[in-house]
Amino acid sequence: MTGPLPSWPLRPLRLLPAALALLASPAPAAAPPSDVAVKAAFLTKFPAYVAWPAAARPRPGAPLHICILGGDPFGRLIDEAARGQQVDGHPLQVRRLGAPGLAGGCHVAFVQGNAPALLQGLQGKPVLTVTDARGGPQSGMIHFVIHQGRVRFNIDEAQAARSGVGISSRLLGIALSVRRP
Amino acid sequence: MERQRYAFHAAGTVLLALASQPLLAQAPAAGPETVEELRDLSIEQLAQIEVRSASKQAEPISRAPTSIFVIPGGDLIRSAATSLPEALRLAPNLQVQQLDARQFAVSSRGFNGAESSNKLLVLIDGRSIYTTLHSGVFWELHSPLLEDVEQIEVISGPGGTLYGPNAVNGVVSVATRDARETLGGLARGTAGPRERTLAMRYGASLGDIGALRVYANGLDRDDLPAGPAPDNNDSFSGWQAGFRADLGKGTDHVTLQGDIFDTDIDTLPGDGDRGHNLLARWTHGFGDDRSLQVQAYYDEYRRRSLLVTDSLQTFDAEAQLNARFGAHHIVLGGGVRTTRDDFTNNLNGFHLEPQSRRLWVVNAFAQDRMALTPRLDLIAGLKLERSSFSGVELLPNLRLAWRPSARTTLWGAVSRAVRTPSRIDRQLVFLPLLAEATNFESEKLIAFEAGYRGQPGASTTLSVSLFYNLYDDIRTTEFTGNPLPIRLQNGLEGRTYGIEAWATHQLSSRWRASLGLAALNKDFHLKNGAVDLANRASLGADPDYQIMARSQFDLTDRVQLDLGLRGVDDLGASGLGGYVEADARLAWRVSDPIELYVAGNNLLHKSHVESNDSSRAQRVQRSVYLGTRLRF
Repeated sequence: MTGPLPSWPLRPLRLLPAALALLASPAPAAAPPSDVAVKAAFLTKFPAYVAWPAAARPRPGAPLHICILGGDPFGRLIDEAARGQQVDGHPLQVRRLGAPGLAGGCHVAFVQGNAPALLQGLQGKPVLTVTDARGGPQSGMIHFVIHQGRVRFNIDEAQAARSGVGISSRLLGIALSVRRP
Repeated sequence: MERQRYAFHAAGTVLLALASQPLLAQAPAAGPETVEELRDLSIEQLAQIEVRSASKQAEPISRAPTSIFVIPGGDLIRSAATSLPEALRLAPNLQVQQLDARQFAVSSRGFNGAESSNKLLVLIDGRSIYTTLHSGVFWELHSPLLEDVEQIEVISGPGGTLYGPNAVNGVVSVATRDARETLGGLARGTAGPRERTLAMRYGASLGDIGALRVYANGLDRDDLPAGPAPDNNDSFSGWQAGFRADLGKGTDHVTLQGDIFDTDIDTLPGDGDRGHNLLARWTHGFGDDRSLQVQAYYDEYRRRSLLVTDSLQTFDAEAQLNARFGAHHIVLGGGVRTTRDDFTNNLNGFHLEPQSRRLWVVNAFAQDRMALTPRLDLIAGLKLERSSFSGVELLPNLRLAWRPSARTTLWGAVSRAVRTPSRIDRQLVFLPLLAEATNFESEKLIAFEAGYRGQPGASTTLSVSLFYNLYDDIRTTEFTGNPLPIRLQNGLEGRTYGIEAWATHQLSSRWRASLGLAALNKDFHLKNGAVDLANRASLGADPDYQIMARSQFDLTDRVQLDLGLRGVDDLGASGLGGYVEADARLAWRVSDPIELYVAGNNLLHKSHVESNDSSRAQRVQRSVYLGTRLRF
């Protein structure tokens, strides 16, 4: 029996330069999405699982407004996520607003930066408020958290109920926690 | 020249361990990459997408072409473990030996033992905790609050390019949660005949810039009876406290964290361990495609036991740039670490020459993960590492990951890794018997790996990894004079091979079952007709296989029952028999903030032995305790 270190195991290492020569390959980068991209996608999905009071619903064919209040962590990601999307015949439209006073007509409001005042301004209004643990502790009706490497959220159903916003059981079912009315 | 051949004959060759994942169906094995693809997913699928953050450990598990097992924080909380090394029993690709009430030996793919498990890189929030004294880990020095742990990643095999020094046989990376995710208070207490613990944490918001949490936890554990080693008064008590602040603004994220601990042991008055550390990490994102991370830490500890005092101060700084363009994901980085140690031995004649020394280790690395096709990734990396005791080591690593379907990843890898010499390897002296080994070189490994990871069914996940490791220059103790003095030398070479596998099956929405196994064959021989006076102690004592099974059952919305079973084969030539043991935990959530539980470890026997260490190993006893967690 000869030694256990024949020279052949080293050979695959010689492939390294050859591998590096493949750098010009055209395939797209295989990269997992960022948490921000997934949050943007969630924001455009939520309206399908939310019931607004009749007076607050958009008229048939009118757009459903997703508003970004305070800071905007999404940039083009939210625009790309919303582009061409419809919920019950309502096209999704993204609006960026500086103050809650302008929030009339918002159906979903993502709130970040000075969240207490902004949320205060929306209190009792039939707007689905969404916040992010990475943007501060104040929690809207839906509050994003990173849980075990995934974007998840907590739902404050009590707060939603006070504003007349109904949340479907399918959405409640994937929440990490639900505060019941 | 006569060659000796030595083999650990493996009867069984498989170790089952339990895979523990959150009680929710698993994500597809390959995720979407663009916003357009995300749009096509259901909300349930979105909730299962693994996302990337800027750190080097952020690659989703389902895509990492390596043998990686993740212990999620939720499983830690559900387990009966009360300390970090006990929690590592949840990973099938780690072998954990409890030596006494305080000390553990943990290894991956062989070499286990308090002195021989020296090929593992262990990180707590990016801070390396193996010691330059002997390249092992003193687990008793580290008590992060288990409730604040986000997850523990366990990689068996060389960690690849991106991990730091000593990632030869495996990497254990403990990540605690972002302070912004741990607001509010938590208190935990457990009490049993053998052990008491107490823990507190409070997390407070710092407005929209971030959050801060502080924690403290303490442990008081009783003496274990004599085992292979005589009774060693191993009862101890101690505490650890610390903080973590996470501050984020726009694309910048800063983490500041630190810990301080103090432990008393019962050997002699004044014996015990104390230390502290402070770490700062800054991550900056440039758009969606590039990020830079810079990290620095200081760590200091002192251990004192039986007239031996060992202290170590570490300063470490590292930087890493991630960039993606087109088909490429490039990572470039480097780091420098310097340590100053002091080893004082008033117990016997063994000492380090010099008694105190500053050491350096520097490394630089580059890796490209390129998508050859949408389903085939090639990862090529190279790390250069240099320590005070070695020249420049070249550590290349080549991996292929192929995803024939969204539910399946097949991967293969070839890597070279080295363990650079420790202070003991080079400078342990006891004249005229033992002289300095000025020519002791790095221990070397070339590892060949292949694996499958995927979802064979809608509610089943499976991972299987095979490895074939070629080692050279493993430590021996040899006559180098006429015949004295003896010196530590690099006289062993050989190979190990084996399999690691784990599977999880979701039996219902409330019930998850997991199985895991690891099997190992070792085949080493002495080079050049050498004689190893230590009788291959550096190879450790490993079971040929270990098998684990776990059941996580939510009996009701408020009652959880967790059961775990592990079977460990005998320790080969050492003559120590195998064992089967069980742990269990029954928990009742009385109301949202209050949880009560009863839990136990090593329930099947009054006591058993896990290590053949004749100077440390005690009998590990059954331990049952009551506990409560309060959240406010």
